[in-house]
Amino acid sequence: MNRYLMILAACAIPLAAHHSFEAEYDFNKSMKITGVITKMEWMNPHAHFYVDVKGADGKVINWNMELGAIPVLLKQGWRKDSLKKGDTVTVEGYLPKDGTRAMGNARRVLLPDGRQVFGGTSANVADGK
Amino acid sequence: MQRSYRNLVLTAAAAATVLLLAGGQGSAQEATKQKQIVPPGAAPPKPLGPRGPSGPVPRTSDGKPDFSGLWNSQRNLPGQEEPAMLPWAAALTKERTANYSADDPEARCIPGGVPRAFPYHHQIVQTSKLMLVLFEGNIHTFRQIFLDRTEHPKNVGPLWYGDSIAKWEGDTLVVDSVGFNDQFWFDMAGHPHSTELHVIERYHRRDFGNLEIEVTVIDPKTYSKPWVMKREATLETEIEMTEYVCNENNSDALHLVGK
Repeated sequence: MNRYLMILAACAIPLAAHHSFEAEYDFNKSMKITGVITKMEWMNPHAHFYVDVKGADGKVINWNMELGAIPVLLKQGWRKDSLKKGDTVTVEGYLPKDGTRAMGNARRVLLPDGRQVFGGTSANVADGK
Repeated sequence: MQRSYRNLVLTAAAAATVLLLAGGQGSAQEATKQKQIVPPGAAPPKPLGPRGPSGPVPRTSDGKPDFSGLWNSQRNLPGQEEPAMLPWAAALTKERTANYSADDPEARCIPGGVPRAFPYHHQIVQTSKLMLVLFEGNIHTFRQIFLDRTEHPKNVGPLWYGDSIAKWEGDTLVVDSVGFNDQFWFDMAGHPHSTELHVIERYHRRDFGNLEIEVTVIDPKTYSKPWVMKREATLETEIEMTEYVCNENNSDALHLVGK
């Protein structure tokens, strides 16, 4: 993790979004996963990162987690290497309305050292983060 | 009724899950927040952020205010009047808002038109004859405002950003735009318009770091009286505009289901 992430938790910039949160995700379907980063997709209109999560049965599922738009993330201190392959993270967020599996909107990412960072997503907009 | 009951149970279960996952006082606040969510556009504008840097207004060699610079997104001031919509427009806006703006063209990387206030930075480049507005997003594009032309071309459009000409009224630049298509939404709430849309924007650089914009929407086929919006933008001095190519990975479009 790098120093830029340290400022994220303190950021409270009201953000606007490329699409409305509730057009895609459901505030009533919260999720929380812990796993290992496999890839960061530093692209617009939303950055995504992928997390391998091992279930109780030992089966590994790769989750696709959405972040905010890159200009917004940059302003919050995120960089393309803020989450590195191999990092273990816990992600809190919301599931999509259409039932797509292993996908979510990352509201908050918990880093191994205990720091929390916000995803710069429309979820953070809608709930005032 | 059955569905409502099911939703209630699901909501309660989700809230309980949040409580269990997060634990403590913070989680209770989170559960409360879930109940307060309103459709986009239905929420009042958030309070304005910090002011831009102070200082004198930069001027061009001919003494006019120079709007050049990197500006943060335009933000509507709080407490403004709602637009007076004709019945068809009110019904359409209500439907779009209730569907959580799932059909918003912006979510499909289509230009937002004028006067949509984009959430991203915009760079103004001003010359004596032309003012360019370079949009970081929604799509990485630009708008032309002609300072050396006093009339719109005949049969102009339909265009996403219209045909824009401008004149000075003291230190205020008055931008007059026509020739629009009717494809874009004014905001995430889904306020519509017709091809007869006429937009007048009055740009005033209050000081070095603060821009005031008064937007008047005139469209008698959609609104029963002109809709006036007051906005502000602040100068960004710490960063440069980045690249935002909306269509490079717009995977969300497949999942925008609305209600």
